[in-house]
Amino acid sequence: MTATVTTTDRAATGGPLLSVERLSVRYEPKRHAPTEAVSDVSFEIRPGEFIGLIGESGSGKTTLGTALLRLLERPGRISAGRIVFDGTDITDLPEDDLRGMRWTEISTVFQSSMNSLNPVLRVDEQFRDVIEYHTRRRGQQVSDRIDTLFDMVLIDRRFQRSYPHELSGGMRQRINLALALAIEPRFVLLDEPTTGLDVVVQKSILDNIRRLQAELGFAVLFISHDIGTVLDLSDRILVMYGGRIVEQQRARDLLADPLHPYTKGLLGSYGDPRAETVTITYVPGRPPDLTAGYTGCAFAPRCPEAIAGCRSVEPPLLRLGEHGGEAACHVAALQRGQGERSGVGTEEVGPVVRGFAGPQFVKTAEDERSLHDREVLLSVDAVSKTYLRRRGLGTTRTEAVRDASFVLRKGAVTALVGQSGSGKSTLARMITGVESPSTGSVTFHGEQGSFAVGSRRGRSLRDYRSHVQMVFQDPYSALNPTKTLGYILSRPLANYRGLRGAEARRAVLELLETVALTPAERYIDRFGYELSGGQRQRVVIARALAVEPELIIADEPIASLDVSIRAEILELLNSLVRDRGVTILYITHDLLSARMIADDVVVLNQGRVVEQGPALEVIRNPQDDYTRLLLDAVPNPTAG
Amino acid sequence: MKYFLRKVGFFVLTLWAVVTLNFFIPRLQPGDPAELMVQKLAGKNAQLNPAQVAAIRDMLGTPTGSLWSQYWQYLGQLAHGNFGVSYTYFPFGVMQVIGQAFWWTVILVTIVQVLSFGIGVLLGAFAAWKRNGRFDTAVTLVSTFVGTLQPFWIALLLIYGLGYGLGWFATSGGYEDSTPGFNWGFVYDAISHGFLPALTLMIVTPVGWVLGMRNTMVLNLGEDYVRLAKAKGLPDKVVALRYAARNALLPSVTGFALALGGVLGGTILVETVFDYPGLGRLMGEAVGYKDYPMLQALMLLTAVATLLANLVADLLYGVLDPRARRAQA
Repeated sequence: MTATVTTTDRAATGGPLLSVERLSVRYEPKRHAPTEAVSDVSFEIRPGEFIGLIGESGSGKTTLGTALLRLLERPGRISAGRIVFDGTDITDLPEDDLRGMRWTEISTVFQSSMNSLNPVLRVDEQFRDVIEYHTRRRGQQVSDRIDTLFDMVLIDRRFQRSYPHELSGGMRQRINLALALAIEPRFVLLDEPTTGLDVVVQKSILDNIRRLQAELGFAVLFISHDIGTVLDLSDRILVMYGGRIVEQQRARDLLADPLHPYTKGLLGSYGDPRAETVTITYVPGRPPDLTAGYTGCAFAPRCPEAIAGCRSVEPPLLRLGEHGGEAACHVAALQRGQGERSGVGTEEVGPVVRGFAGPQFVKTAEDERSLHDREVLLSVDAVSKTYLRRRGLGTTRTEAVRDASFVLRKGAVTALVGQSGSGKSTLARMITGVESPSTGSVTFHGEQGSFAVGSRRGRSLRDYRSHVQMVFQDPYSALNPTKTLGYILSRPLANYRGLRGAEARRAVLELLETVALTPAERYIDRFGYELSGGQRQRVVIARALAVEPELIIADEPIASLDVSIRAEILELLNSLVRDRGVTILYITHDLLSARMIADDVVVLNQGRVVEQGPALEVIRNPQDDYTRLLLDAVPNPTAG
Repeated sequence: MKYFLRKVGFFVLTLWAVVTLNFFIPRLQPGDPAELMVQKLAGKNAQLNPAQVAAIRDMLGTPTGSLWSQYWQYLGQLAHGNFGVSYTYFPFGVMQVIGQAFWWTVILVTIVQVLSFGIGVLLGAFAAWKRNGRFDTAVTLVSTFVGTLQPFWIALLLIYGLGYGLGWFATSGGYEDSTPGFNWGFVYDAISHGFLPALTLMIVTPVGWVLGMRNTMVLNLGEDYVRLAKAKGLPDKVVALRYAARNALLPSVTGFALALGGVLGGTILVETVFDYPGLGRLMGEAVGYKDYPMLQALMLLTAVATLLANLVADLLYGVLDPRARRAQA
C-alpha cells in the first residue's frame, strides 16, 4: 500500500506505468522438454494507455499476461528479464508484498466468463470480500460501491444477489469487468474478455470498456486473438508470434502500414461483407513448435515474403516505421534500408507490399450463382419447436423456433445466421432428425423420393444420416484422441459403405487428399492432437464426407479457429460445393463468412426467420434491423 | 422448498420399496427356519420330529394366510416396531437386542466418522494447497499405504501393542465393572473400551477423504475463480478455504453422507475383533447363527440408514451448491 503514495509522484513525471524488460518465461515440466513460451519481450505501458496484444493460440500472449499478474504456476516461471510496475520491480517480489498491489493497482478480467466467478458465492459477496480486504469501506459503503459498479457496466442492481450460474455469459463478463474496476486500479489486464460471446454482446461489452476507460483513465493491456476487436480501441498494438513480439506500432500506423508479414496476414483475414468484391487471405501452415526450437525467424515457414536470410538469422526488433513502429522482420528491414542492422546484409528483396502475399479467397458479386432453377433438396415448412420444461408443478414453455420456412437447394450453400439463442442449433437438430418439430415439417427430397425427416426412426433414420452429415464447432473435442486419423475415417466407411481392408485404406487416402491433407500417407497414421486446429477441422470435414452425403450441416465450423486460418476452411467448404456438388447448411453468427461461401442467407432472430434471400442482396441491402445489427457487429479493422 | 419436498417424497417412496423387498426376498430363499432350528438343537443326523418342528413354528409365530395378508400383517408389525423374536437371544425380541447394541455402534461410528471426515478433508485440502511439496508427498504416500491395510489387522496390532503390551486400554467388551447409565465410572469405562475400536477406525477411515479431497481440490485450484481470487490479492487462507476448498468440498459431502449409511457393514470385523457390543458384532453373529429375524431387522436398519444418509446428502448438497437447487427443482 506504500506504493500508492509514491505512484502519484511518478505518474506526474510521465514515466511508464508498467515496463517489461527482456522478459522470458519458460515451462519446465518434469517429463517433457522445456518450452520458452515467452522470449525476450520488452514493452512499456504509460498511464492511461490502451494497448492491444494480438497473437494466435500458442503465441504466448496469455502466458505473458499471466506472468505480468505474477500468477504463473509451476512448471512455468520467469526465466529472465524484469517487470517493473510504477518504479517497483515486481519480478521476484514476495507474495506478501505483492498482495497490497493486487487489485488496488493491477486487476484483470479472465478469458472464460463462465468460470471466473465462484459458483457457490453470490455475486455481491465476491465484490465485498475484495473491497473489504483492500479498503476501509465497510457495510453500507461497500454496498454503495457495488451499486455504482453495477451501474457502470449497465447491469441491474437486483442481480447482485444472484449466483453466477443464474446469469448469462454476457452479464457475467460485465460483472467481471465491474469487479476488475472495484478498487479503481491503474492497470487492467483484459485477457480475451469477449471470446466465446456472441458478436452483438461482444460489441456492447467492447463499447462499455471503451467508455469506462475514457472516463476512469486506467491503462489497459487487451489480449486477443482477434485483431478486429481491439484495433479501434487501442492506442498501440503489439503483435506476438512464437513467444516474441514481432511488431509494435500505433494502431492507426499498423493499419495503414503493417510492417511484419504476419500482421499483414492477420489484417488480411478481415473484410467488409458489404463490399462488391471481398478478398480475405489466410496464413497457411501451423504455428511453430516451441519445444523443438528453430533457427532464424519463427514465421519464415509460413511467410510468403521469406528470403534465404530469414531461415538462418533471427530478426531483431528494429525501429522501422515512421512513428516509432517496430518490427522483427528481415524483409521489412531490407525494404527500409536497415538490412545491416537486421543481420542479413544486402540480400535482394522485392518492393513493399501492403497486403498478405499468401493464399487468398475471393468472392465477387459476379460469383453469385443463380440458384432458383435448382432442385430443392430439403424444405423446412412452417416449423416450430417448443420445449416444455417441468418445474415443480408448473411448466415453462420455451419457443426455440417459431414458424420457420426455407429451402436448401442442391449444390448450394445456405447460411443460417443469428446470434446464440436464436434457434439455429435447434433447427439443425431437427434437420438431422435428432429432434422432431412440434408443428410443421422438414422434408428431404432425396434420390429415393421425398419423406418427412421427423417421422424417421431406427434403420431408416440411420439411412437418412448417410445422406446428412454434421461438422461441429470444436474440432478439438470432435476427434477421439486415442485413434489414428486412418481409424477415425475408416469407421464411417465401414458402417455406411461397407468398405474394409485395402479398399477402406484407399478411400481414406482419397478423403485426406480431398481435404488437402497431403501427402495423405503422412497423415493416415497420425493422431488428432498432433494437428493444428485447421487441420483437425479438415479431418472432421473428411469424416463427414466419408459417407458421400448430399447435405453437410456445418455448425459454426470456423468459430473456434484462429482468425488467420478461418478462410482456409471456408475455401475448402467452397471447393466441396464446386467440385462435388455437396449441399451445405452453414450455421454461423458471422455475416462475413456467410458472404464468403453462402449463396442464400436465412437470418434468424429469437426463433423467427426475419429475413432471407440471396446472400449478396441480404448483406448489401438488409431490410431487417436485426440483420443490420449483426452486420455492424462484424469486426472489421480495415473499414477504418 | 420444492427441491426439499421432492427429495423427501423420493425418500418415502424408496423406503416403501425397501420394506417390501425386505419382506419378499427372505421368502424366496429355500429351507425352513423351523426345521433348521430343530436340526441345530438335535444334531445333524438326528431324525426331525414333526412335533418339535410344529412347536418351534408356534413359538416363532410362523405366518399363516395368503402372501398378501402376510404382507399387510408384516407392515402392521413394522409400524409397531415388532420384528419378532431373535433365535440366538431367545426369548428376547429382536428390537430389544438391537436397541441395546444400537447406541454403542452409533456413538462410536458418529464420533469416528465426523472426526475422520474433518481431519481427512483438512489434510487433503492442505496437501492440495501445498501440492507437490513435502507435506503433500508425505500425506499422499502415507494415505495410500494405510489405505491398503485391513482394519482387523490394525485392530490386532493395537490390541497387542496398546492393550496387552502397555495395558493402557481394555481389549474387549464395552464395559466391565460399572453399571451402565450416566455416571462417571461407566463413561470412563466405556471410553476405555471404545478407544481401541475407535482408534482402529480412525486410522483407516480418513484415508478416503484425504485422497478424495486432495484430488478434487487440485483440480479446483486450476479453476479461473481461484486464479482470480489470487489476482484479487486475497489472503491465502481466504483463497484456499472460501474459493478452492468450499467448491472442492461438494463431492466429499455427498460421499460423507453416503458413507454414514454404509458404515454398519464396515464395523462388523472391528467390533468382532474387540467383542464390542454393537450392531456390527450383532450382524456377524446373526449371519453365523442364521438368526433370520435379526438379520432381516438389521438389513432393514442398514437400508433405512443408507436412505436417510442419501436424503441428508441431497438436502445438504442443495444447501451447499446453489446450482443443484435450481437444476433439479
